Amino acid sequence: MAVLELSGLTKRFGAFTALDDISLQIERGEVHCLLGENGAGKSTLCNLVFGVHRPDAGTMTLGGEPFHPRGPAEALQRGVVMVHQHFSLVPNMSVAENLMLGRASAVLKPQDIIVRMEQLAAEYGLEIDPEARIEDLSVGERQRVEIIKCLLGDPQLLVLDEPTAVLQPDEIDALLAICRQVALRGKSVILVTHKLGEISRVADRTTVLRQGRIIETVAMEGADIRSLVRSMVGRDVQSAGSVLAAAVDIEGKTPVKPSGDAGPASPGEAVLEISDLVYRDPHGVPRLDGLSLTVGTGEIVGIAGVEGNGQTELGLILAGLAAPSAGAIVVGGTSVGGCSPQEITDAGVGIVPEDRHAVACIKELSVAENLFLGAIGKFSRFGLLDKSARRKAAEAMMRDFDVRASSPDVSMASLSGGNQQKAVLARELSLDPLVFLLAAQPTRGLDVGAIEAVYNRIRAARDDGLGVLLISSELEELMAVSDRIAVIYRGKLVGELAAGSFSREAIGAMMSGHAHV
Amino acid sequence: MIDEQMAVFIGSGLRLAVPIIFAATGEMLSERAGVLNLSLDGMMLMSAFTAALASWATGSPLIGVAAGVLVATALAAVQAVLSVTLRANQLVVGIGFNILALGSTTFLYREIFGPLSRDPIPGFAQLNLPWLAHIPVIGPALANQTGLAYVSILMVVVTWLILKYTSFGLAVRAVGEDPRAADKAGISVAKTRYLGVLYAGILAGLGGAFMSVADSNTFTENMTKGAGYLAITAVIFGGWNPWYTLAACLLFGFATALQFLVPALQLDVPVALLLLLPYLLALVAIAGFVGKSRQPSALTIPFERGG
Repeated sequence: MAVLELSGLTKRFGAFTALDDISLQIERGEVHCLLGENGAGKSTLCNLVFGVHRPDAGTMTLGGEPFHPRGPAEALQRGVVMVHQHFSLVPNMSVAENLMLGRASAVLKPQDIIVRMEQLAAEYGLEIDPEARIEDLSVGERQRVEIIKCLLGDPQLLVLDEPTAVLQPDEIDALLAICRQVALRGKSVILVTHKLGEISRVADRTTVLRQGRIIETVAMEGADIRSLVRSMVGRDVQSAGSVLAAAVDIEGKTPVKPSGDAGPASPGEAVLEISDLVYRDPHGVPRLDGLSLTVGTGEIVGIAGVEGNGQTELGLILAGLAAPSAGAIVVGGTSVGGCSPQEITDAGVGIVPEDRHAVACIKELSVAENLFLGAIGKFSRFGLLDKSARRKAAEAMMRDFDVRASSPDVSMASLSGGNQQKAVLARELSLDPLVFLLAAQPTRGLDVGAIEAVYNRIRAARDDGLGVLLISSELEELMAVSDRIAVIYRGKLVGELAAGSFSREAIGAMMSGHAHV
Repeated sequence: MIDEQMAVFIGSGLRLAVPIIFAATGEMLSERAGVLNLSLDGMMLMSAFTAALASWATGSPLIGVAAGVLVATALAAVQAVLSVTLRANQLVVGIGFNILALGSTTFLYREIFGPLSRDPIPGFAQLNLPWLAHIPVIGPALANQTGLAYVSILMVVVTWLILKYTSFGLAVRAVGEDPRAADKAGISVAKTRYLGVLYAGILAGLGGAFMSVADSNTFTENMTKGAGYLAITAVIFGGWNPWYTLAACLLFGFATALQFLVPALQLDVPVALLLLLPYLLALVAIAGFVGKSRQPSALTIPFERGG
């Protein structure tokens, strides 16, 4: 029997159709995966079911009754719960307080919640300290709180939006086991992901979305993974190569270097030397705790780690956006620790920052203006801006880096995420001098085509003798691109692996703090 | 002699702190929900005027207080519509209200009572609580206050209980800290913020009415003299905690009362400097405490539901 039935759902944002005529049934007690690339409409679909957005056309029924939630409150009332990609917990409140939030009773009854938490701990193995503050918990623990919050009210349907993106490998296994437990108790689970590896381990059925449409819904028993990949990306996985396989994390497939890649050019002299780097945040908490690292010319070094172990801070410090508390950073013989971004750029460092929208570009300005943001003086004649010269230079750069926009004068905001990122890469890789590139989460939120382009650019830069530091939360990305992977844990490097000896298990173990054996 | 002057000083310090305690306590709750009411001073002034007018017209100070609270709450409701529903800039709205309140009360006062009128207005008598009077030094000052003064302390306790022990209080804290999370937990951000602003309005109304009906038994132009701003400062100074906010209000009250004590002790300090003192303290408090104590993360940021 179907718990949730969608028919003809359509959702538009302005001129953009995010979902187009979606019809789908979710059965009782099944784990149903929604598979699709970024922008395929997975999150929009979840938000419609949870009442965050309202459909422009189509109907939904829940347990046979019409279901048109006007907001999350109404969805919750009907037994639909959701764990969002970005957690919705209040950081400076305790676990118990977060769990009591929005539950009917005039006076708070913390004891009731604690009893219920004990029940859930016994039933699903979801244990957590009710007194702990959310801001002190790890990402995996926070997600556990989210799931407990969802299960408190004994829901019919649990929706998980990209729940594994932030977890380390053993936490992913635990989460998938919980999904099965929930389904075994007669509830239904919608699991959103773009990782095929997870799907084949837990799903009963999978629906593939592409560009807002349902491509197919298949039972996972005996399903052909390759044909799922084809439906998802709309082309053959073989032709796209290992990058694509890595991007979607196909089970059992160890990423290999694409043929034609000469492999690491033998790394030359050190271009980046970090020694004993310490960084304390404004609250005095050490985020980097004596980190030392060397990157040679012609080498891509990947930094693996669960989010929140200091990699973001490392990126900020290298970009000059935060000053280290102690330690030294030397680029090509120049000390740049605590220098301004301008001084760091002058030392020959290109930066692809983690937060593209906030730091890497000014969305309201044109593509040309963004491309020459740091080199405005270059097109100045007697103090006046020579726009036509800049326009020509921008056009050339856009051609070189395949930045697709109707003209260099359109605003950066009108470009897709992939083209924005290519523009950022174009700017940073065109710096002169340039000896080192920092790429922090360079493919976050990009589609498969753009991911490939970014990888190829980074590899080409390496082959030209640049030292590259790649910070990424995607293990597959690191394994596919890096010549060497260093693992960061609680602000320190805990181990290193050279190309050829990469394994998910070994890196996963180090990411959770077990030193490399 | 000295003892007597101390008693007067403490008594007037408390009396002067009461309107600030009312306003700051309500404002604290509203700010915990994420809405800053810069219009607090305007709400108090409107209430002070309305309370005086109603008390004068009916002869009942109680009706005066009720009328004052009603007007301040109505003002708060408009503030809520503008800053919660229409997502207007809270600072601009607040400043607009204060100018409107000052202009309209001054105009109406001159029209109704005539310029520079000092007509006494029916007010509350002071209670005399013998069991309090026995406490040494501060006893007589504590015992001889109007009923509303005790209500102000009661409101601090009530507000503390609401924030700590009720689900409405939890919702207020969540909405001021992370409205998106609260929304997804099924809480109505708008409703919670409306209630927060109305609560601030009711308490600001009590504070304003206290000034005209319980304290001075008259209305004068701009009689709040920035008490609403002092209340907002007290909330910051008090780190959004009801007890520390109360302490900050008392500090401001006593600082204001020094202008009576110092001349009585025949100390040679310019009165103008003493008049300035509470505001100077407020400035120091803001400069020293803003940024150090953590304000509600979503304070002054309108909420809009999104993906």
